[in-house]
Order: sequence, then C-alpha cells, then structure tokens
Amino acid sequence: MDLETDLVVIGGGMAGLIAGTIAAEAGLDTILLRKGQSATAYSSGAIDVIGYLPEASEPIISPEEGLFALSRLYPLHPYNVLGYDKRIEFEKVMENIVGRTKDTVTWLKAHLDGTIAPLMGDFESNMHPITILGTTKPTCLIQKTMHNGDVQDREDSVLLFVGIMGYADFNPSTAAKTYLEDRMAAAGPPRKVGHCIIQVMPFGKPYNVSSIELARHLDHEGSIENLAEQLKEHIEQIGATHVAFPPVLGLQDALKNKEKLEELTGTTVFELLGFPPSIPGQRLQRALETIFTKAGGKMLLGHEATSYLKVDDNLKSITAASPRREIKIDAKAFVLATGKYIGGGIAGDETGLRETVFDLKPVTGDYHSAMEIVPSRFTSRLSISPTGQPIQSCGLSVDPRFRPVDEDGLEWAKNLFAAGAVLAGYNYSVEKSGLGVAATSGYSAAKNAIEFIKEVA
Amino acid sequence: MTDSKFDVVVIGGGSTGTAVARDCAMRGLRTLLLERDDIASATVGTCAGMISSGLKYRDEPDIMKMCSTEVVYWNHIARHIVMKNPILAPLLDLSDAASDSSYMESYSEHVEERDVPAMMFLTPDATLEIEPMLHPEIIASVYYEEYFIDPFRLCLLQALDARNHGAEIRTYCEVIDFEINDKQEIEGVIFYNRVFGTTERVTTKLVVNAAGPWAHKVAKSAKEELHIRLNKGAHVIFDRRIVNTGITVKAMDGRWVYLFPHENTTLLGTTALDTWEDPDTLVASFDEIEYLLQSMETVLPSIREARIIRTMTGVRPLVPDFKVPERNVTRGYRIVDHGENDGTKGLLSFLGGKLVTCRHMAEAVTDLVCEKLGKDIACTTHEKPLPGNEDDVDIIALSKEYDISLHALERMRARRGTEMLKVLEMTKEHPEWKTTICTCEPIIEAEIRLSIREEFPQTLNDLRRRLRLGTGPCQGTFCTYKAASILSEELGLAGDDFLVDILDFRAERWKGIRQSMRGEQLAQEELAQGMYACVGNLDQSDVDYDLKPWEEGH
Repeated sequence: MDLETDLVVIGGGMAGLIAGTIAAEAGLDTILLRKGQSATAYSSGAIDVIGYLPEASEPIISPEEGLFALSRLYPLHPYNVLGYDKRIEFEKVMENIVGRTKDTVTWLKAHLDGTIAPLMGDFESNMHPITILGTTKPTCLIQKTMHNGDVQDREDSVLLFVGIMGYADFNPSTAAKTYLEDRMAAAGPPRKVGHCIIQVMPFGKPYNVSSIELARHLDHEGSIENLAEQLKEHIEQIGATHVAFPPVLGLQDALKNKEKLEELTGTTVFELLGFPPSIPGQRLQRALETIFTKAGGKMLLGHEATSYLKVDDNLKSITAASPRREIKIDAKAFVLATGKYIGGGIAGDETGLRETVFDLKPVTGDYHSAMEIVPSRFTSRLSISPTGQPIQSCGLSVDPRFRPVDEDGLEWAKNLFAAGAVLAGYNYSVEKSGLGVAATSGYSAAKNAIEFIKEVA
Repeated sequence: MTDSKFDVVVIGGGSTGTAVARDCAMRGLRTLLLERDDIASATVGTCAGMISSGLKYRDEPDIMKMCSTEVVYWNHIARHIVMKNPILAPLLDLSDAASDSSYMESYSEHVEERDVPAMMFLTPDATLEIEPMLHPEIIASVYYEEYFIDPFRLCLLQALDARNHGAEIRTYCEVIDFEINDKQEIEGVIFYNRVFGTTERVTTKLVVNAAGPWAHKVAKSAKEELHIRLNKGAHVIFDRRIVNTGITVKAMDGRWVYLFPHENTTLLGTTALDTWEDPDTLVASFDEIEYLLQSMETVLPSIREARIIRTMTGVRPLVPDFKVPERNVTRGYRIVDHGENDGTKGLLSFLGGKLVTCRHMAEAVTDLVCEKLGKDIACTTHEKPLPGNEDDVDIIALSKEYDISLHALERMRARRGTEMLKVLEMTKEHPEWKTTICTCEPIIEAEIRLSIREEFPQTLNDLRRRLRLGTGPCQGTFCTYKAASILSEELGLAGDDFLVDILDFRAERWKGIRQSMRGEQLAQEELAQGMYACVGNLDQSDVDYDLKPWEEGH
C-alpha cells in the first residue's frame, strides 16, 4: 500500500504532535507515525520551559528572563538556533527567540483548553509545584489539577498530604516531612502539615493498587463522594485548608473531580507532580492526540519508519512498518521527532551513537561528532548533580530552520526537519526544559516545513 | 565513650568475620563484631557466590578436599540459600582439550560426597541442545556442576545467628586504634561510630582481624606490619539469566573466565589485576569489560546483544605470594598470630581464603582463641543450621493462601527459607504490605519492613544487600524512592535524611552502571535522570550529601 501526503511526522510525543497539529491546521495533509508510548506520556505532565541555566544553582524567576539569559550565554541551545536565520535582523534575534517560545506557550495553553489536560501558568513567571517527594521544582505551565492555590501565601494555611492504601508510588508521611522542612527553611507558610492514608480499592484489594486503576476508578460516578467522606475526618483533625493528592485524580475528569472534591470538603485540592507511570503525562499525551486529529491530522499507531528514499537532496518517501504491514509514504516534507534514548531516536553502544531512522550523524552537547564516542566517558562521576550526565545532551545538530546538518554544516535534506529530544545541545533534566524545547522546536519545525512546502509549490 | 568487656572482638563483617563471630558466640564467648561499613559490603558482596569444588586449584589437593567437605556442610546448614548450577566448558579446538586433563580426575575424586555426577565430555549436539547460543563450531564440551550460595544472605545469616547466640554485631563502626600495654598485650579496641560520629572503646584481650583487603591497615593500627597481595576482580552483569547453564572459557591470557546465571541476573567474570589503590574507589575499566566480553564472545558470539546493566568490582585479599600470577596464588588461608613473632599479643590476622572455606577458617581461629582463653569447647558451626534452613516451604500453597505471586514468594524463599513465614504473618494485620516495592526482584513491602526491624540496615544499600533491592534491570529507578519512604518511616528519619538516602542509593547504583553504559541502559538512565533530577529536582537539593570515595577527584 502506498500513500501520498504533504507532511510526514515521525514520532508522536510533544514535539511531533505539535508539529503535526500546526501543519494540519495550516491545511497540510499530515500523517504522523507513532511507534509506541512517548516520553511525553512518562512526564509529570507539567510543561517546563527553563528552570535553571546549565550548572546554575538558583532557579530562574521567569521563563522570559531565562530565555534572554540563555540566548546570551548559550547561543547553540535549541531554543536559540532560529536566531541564526539570516532573515532575522541582528537586533531582533533575542526578541525572536523569546517570542517564538512565548507564541508556543500561548498556542499550547489555548489549544489544550477544554481538553482533559487544560493548562495554567504564564510566560512571565515560573511556578513551583510540589512533587510526590515533598520537594518543589520550577516549571512554566501546570495542569489545572495541580494548582495548589494560596497554600504558600496564606499565613494560616494547613496542608494535608493524602496517600492511598497499597499504592506505593506515594508515601504521604515522608512527603509531608520533607515539604515542611523545606517551608521551615524558607520561613513561609504552610506552617502546619499533616498526612493520612485513605482506602480506594478499584479491584477490592488494598494492595498493589496502581495509578491507572485509581485514575479510572475516580472517574466513576460516586467515587469522589466516597473519597470526600473518608477525607472529612482527617481534614477536621488538623484543620486542613489544602489537600495534596498523588497525581491520580482521574484520566478523563480530573479537573471536574478536583472541583467536586473542593466543593465537598471546603478545601483547595490539588495533584502533586509525580513519576512515571504518570497519569497527568498520559492526559497530556491524549489531549495532544485529540487536538491533532481534530485539526485533521492522521495517526498511524504502532508504526515506525524503517527505510527511506532520498533523491539528491530531497527526501522522497519513507516506509512505515508495523508487525503486519509496510506502507510507503511519499511526502513533500518530513519532521523527525523520534526523541532521544527513551523515544528511540538516538541509540548507542560502546562504539558510538547513531540516529535510528536516517542514520544521521549525532553530535555531543558541545557539537563534536558523537559517532564514535564511548558513552561512559560522557558521564559525570556524580549520579544526580546540576552537571547532569553529558550523554543526555547528545543528539542532532540542526540549521536555523531546524533541518539536521551533516559534518560540513549543510542540511542533510532540504525537506527534513527535526524537533524535540532528538536534538543536541541541551540537558532537559537539569535545565528543566524538556517539554518546552519539545513544544517550541516542534512549533518551529512545522512552521519551516509549511514554508518549505509553499516555496516549492 | 562507652566501655564494655568482651572475650573476643572480630573486625570485619565479610564472610570470614561473620563466620568467626558466629563460631565464637556459639562456643559461648562474649563476642563483638565491628564492621566499618555494612555486612558483606566489600569483597564477598562482589563475588559470584560460588562455593567451588576448588577445581582451579587442583595443585593443592588439601584445598580441594577442604572445599568438598565444606560444600557438604553448607548443604546441611544453609540449603535454602544454596543453588547447584550445571556448567559447560565448550572446546573450540583440540588443544583446549589436550592441554591438561588432570582436572577431570581431581574433580571426580570428590563427586560422591558433593552429590554431583562425574565430569564428562559432551558431543557438540548434546552441548548445543543444552545451550543453543553457543558457537556452532564447537568440537565438544566438558560438563560439570558447582554449588553457589547467596553471599549476602550467608553473611547476614551468620551475623544474625551470632547475635542469636549472644554476640553483639555493630555495623558502621570503624576500628581506629588499639590499646596495647607495655607487655605488648592488647587491652582494648577503639573505634569510630560512623552513624553517631562518636568514639567508643571496648575491653578485650583478643582480636581477630578479618578485615579482608583492609587487614594490613587494621594491623598497622597495632603497629604491626602485615604483607598482603590485593587483587582486583571485576564482573559485568546482565539483566536476566541469559544462559541455561554456566559457561566457562579460557580468556586470551589463558585465565579461566565464566558466565554464571546468578539469582535473576547473569554474571560475567572475572578479571585479576594486582592493585594498590583504595578498594573503595575502584570501578571496572573499559579494558576489563572488553577483556571479559571478548573472551566470552569466542564461544558465545551473541553475548554483546544481551543487555548489560552494570559492572561490579571487588578486591581479593590474597596471601602475599610474589612472582606468580594471581591464579597460582594459593587459595589456602593463613592465620598470622602477631604475638608469636614478638609482636602484639592477642592479635590474629587472616590472609587469603575463599568464600567456601570461611566456616573452616572461623573454626580454626576460634580453636586458637579458645586455646588462648584456656577453654576447650567443640565447634558446632557445621552441625547447627542457619536460620531458615529448618524445613521445605510449599510456596504454591502459600501463594494461594496469601494472594502473592509465586515469583515473589520464590524469591523470598530463596532469601529466607522457613523464615519467610514471619514476613507473611505481618501481612495478616497489614494486607497493604503485600504491595510490590521492587518490581525487578520482586520484593513486597512487608519483607522490607521486617528486614528494617530485624536485620539492622541503616541505608538503602544495606537493604539491597539484605533483599536484592534495586539489583535488577532498572537498577532501582522505580524502587529507590518507594523504599526510601519505608526506611524513613521505620527509622523515623527527617525529610532531609530521606532525600540523602535517595541520593546515596542512586550514587552507589551509578557507580556500577556508569562504566558499562550502553544500549538500553542509555534509556534507563534518561528515565532515572528524568525522575530524580527533572521532576524530583534533587540535582538542586541543598541537603548535606557526602561525596563517596569513588566520586572524589576528577
């Protein structure tokens, strides 16, 4: 079977789905391949833009300010590559860089409104949501279910951490202790924190309860009322004004469930940021898929790009393969958004790294060839530190239009664009910039692909 | 400073030290064991657990005989943590077979008492039927069987049994000095308590130095010179049991290396490099990893396709035979009685030895200790079983009764034998503790809580040694924070300590992951970074984290 389309997007996480949606909304016939679960679905479901400059120890107050600093100090960061576009006047480079990300954030908020993952937050200031460990982290956008109201502003606020019996992903007593110590050090409210365990048994057993079971269960009628009933006693006991839940408040109706709980308990209820398997991550993934298909995009699930045809400097087609069939897809332009190691866009062994679809040439975070590196030598002795692991900054080098380039700095093909974690030059875990770079580069790659297709036409 | 009196102080919580403490306690001596880190945290914790027939050391028939006798004892006193592994030595050309056949005879001398078949040659077809991944052009293979023991549980059970017999076991207590009178007799031991940051002193006239690769340093505290030969050995660890049997092959330098299925993983080892470095800082080098892979590749060509999860590195405390390669150094042991040579009276130091002979070593030194104390009490360590060995356990029935997966119960049985019933008993009052915390192993919450309450762990690493927490393919990515919460709850730790525990465990896991980083472990590490740095923000945490010895420098 053969298909013909305007744009093929390879990869169905944040970068690919945004690129696909923008292209589809611009009227392009768009097909997206998704091999399996994306790293976006594993994420906490909050959208980081920039939380820390590389190796810095003070969090950035606002993404806007962070991007200005980044553009001055780290000109090769993926946020900044569009600044090298010769069509942009020198004086307007920074404005363009910051503007592109701001546009993306605004676009994302508007598009996800009304989905199962509505967002809040803005470009002018980072928020500091609480995690399931009791720590906090800077991020730009959170899902509305994660909004903790005035817990850190109201002098008399009392926060109750709620755990669920037999659900090992969240321990409310340690989170409460860690968070309270943090607040005491900061000398700010809440000055009183409590914790409790309630029982929710999707399958009638109080052990091995999973996030997905809980989220689905809480979407059922009557579940929230039952939860509120159990909570009342604990809330009264410590006079809680705010209630923190692990991120399991629902898959479809999380926001409604939060609001209902607030109404029934008279408190502010919110979800903590959690680890995979992450329900907010899955909500975000599903919401992005919804807006993509709503815009007219077509998705091939369970398909990966296994081969391609390139004529001169034009990519003509790729073959999308699933266990049962192979489809050749001709297209005018392509977006590569296959992710890094989790997504499978970059792979490596003791002899070096490689890009998995087109055999493009990966580079290190310093833009030297990564084709023959020994991965262990691009690591830090420290496991978890602001230096991070340099191997996580490897990926593809792109030109100002987000086209992967060869060693000579020229684009590998005129019509292949790349976005997301497959890009080199940033370490999202330490910068707290993962979904922000994915969204912005996906947005940019799509804009460039659209422009290219129009030019050719 | 506290002060108390002991008949004997044992230094070192490895296989030998715990065996000595057990023997001394069982003979009624007031016994104290001091370990600067945790039980089984150094040499024995980095070995493959083989309680070998001594095949490699057939030039020492006494050692081979001792090995066989000891294996019989282990099967009697610790059968719940003993496994028997079939092993194939594939031959690619005749020179492999012809070089030396004396090992077959030496091995066969002890097969009956060890309850294994005689060593035999297998045809290529028979060999490939057992292990289809072997090189198709092998001309034959040698088949034999060896016994293995869980080295962590062995040491812990010896320590617990010693405690049951009245011994005091103190981990995280590092000996820093001895009190020696003007007659050159030991009067006391001074040690630093690393948990509380205090210095303590105990009175004793006898000290057994079983500090393994630190034995010479302990001796130096008594101004004694002890010669030792330290030899580094590294393993590469795979994510599952990738072979049906053990495989041994001669490496390019003629040494034997092996691939052994071990618990839920497979171990490829070992290297042998003389070392003068601080054992705490050692990690496997690129060369060591390649040496092992390339050697095994000659008979198992697809080995590189298997998923490597980490490396582990330990140091052998050999007797100081010089001018011979490591493999020809005796695997016998020596007890140095420093007082016999005008040195410190009351100090006895171990050199050499093997895992399989640790009980024998303990018996010998305890005989000496008793003699010095003027006591005549017989050794019973080879007769009385270690905790959990008492009976068989019907895990199929237990799985139905408690609604816990068979796999989880089998792994629990392999650690605890009949003692697993104590864990299950806890779930009657707390059914939520049936929840799986470490999914790779797997381990349920009740066992973690029981271990914390009864097996004196201080850190997640201690829990790893007791339960195999975080030793599977994900290397603790998913269980670190869950287990840290439980530890924090049980020990009543502060929030900062909870975060330090997480960082400490990630650091220790990373020590071994980093060296062999490739393939799926790249994605695994991206996930770990995403969880602990990106979401948890622990890379920016301001808790008091102490750099580990292998993290210092550049």
